[in-house]
Amino acid sequence: MAHSAEPMEQQHGLSPMQYLAIGAGLTLITIVELWVSYSGLGSLQIPLLLFLSAIKFAVVVGWFMHLRFDHRLLTQVFAASLTLAILITIVLLTLYWSADADSIRGYREWLASG
Amino acid sequence: MAHAPAVAHGGGHTTSTGTENRKLLMWIFLGSECLFFGSLIATYLVFKHQVIERGIGPFPVDVTIDGVSHHGILDIPLTSTSTFVLLMSSVTMVLAVYGAQHARMKMMKLGLLATMVLGLTFLGFQVYEFRTFGHEGLNLTTNLFGATFFVLTGFHGTHVGVGVLYLGSMLAASFRRNGLGRDTGAHVEIAGLYWHFVDIVWIVIFTVLYLIP
Repeated sequence: MAHSAEPMEQQHGLSPMQYLAIGAGLTLITIVELWVSYSGLGSLQIPLLLFLSAIKFAVVVGWFMHLRFDHRLLTQVFAASLTLAILITIVLLTLYWSADADSIRGYREWLASG
Repeated sequence: MAHAPAVAHGGGHTTSTGTENRKLLMWIFLGSECLFFGSLIATYLVFKHQVIERGIGPFPVDVTIDGVSHHGILDIPLTSTSTFVLLMSSVTMVLAVYGAQHARMKMMKLGLLATMVLGLTFLGFQVYEFRTFGHEGLNLTTNLFGATFFVLTGFHGTHVGVGVLYLGSMLAASFRRNGLGRDTGAHVEIAGLYWHFVDIVWIVIFTVLYLIP
């Protein structure tokens, strides 16, 4: 037997004021991101920017896209795809950056040889 | 024994897991889009690195090559403004969904309209940025940075454009005699999923392309 239907017109628990507050929070994080990008924090800068970006991403997916309140299956579908996308990015970067070092060296030698 | 598919309150059918099938379909589609944009972002990062190494400008960030300084072409304050606009469009979209799910049709229509206006404003910023880059000598064929930058941001902009049309069709349909029908909440929520996805992709693009040096 099919499970009971999940009503599409269900109330997800947040009020318009709460959504506005989340929007204000996202704006605040964006301002912090800007500050971090200009602050010259050195080796902390990139991890911090990625962390802030991940928070914004999670807030929009969790609250605005209602994943936090929806069926767990939807979270699993999206999380699986996102994990694959991140893996593809890491694999491509690793492959090309290691191959790239050789190609750049060759290109510079070719330029130097006239 | 075969069972008839369950029907959600809004009139849409549910899958055997209890989730509404159109919503599940949209999430699967968005999952495939993650792979699409993940590949484009990775390609951009690979070739941005190569452009700086090879010394063929214009460059995305300030660089000094053989003692000569080159200024970065990316305008972070401008893009921060357009990022803010797109973030706010997500707020208006979620309010439109709230309105649709709580039978507050005026709120839904205003939310959809505001989201479309903000989406078009974002596209205006993007057109301005592309034209500025063109004047500074960067186009799709100038170097690998130009090629990957325009392809990535262009595809994102296309998604925003499709989203504006999608929301426009919702808004137009809401003015019909029967509005969006019994499925109003479902229709607008699914459209909202697409719109928020466009926003989260930009959150990543903004950080990776513009903010990370």
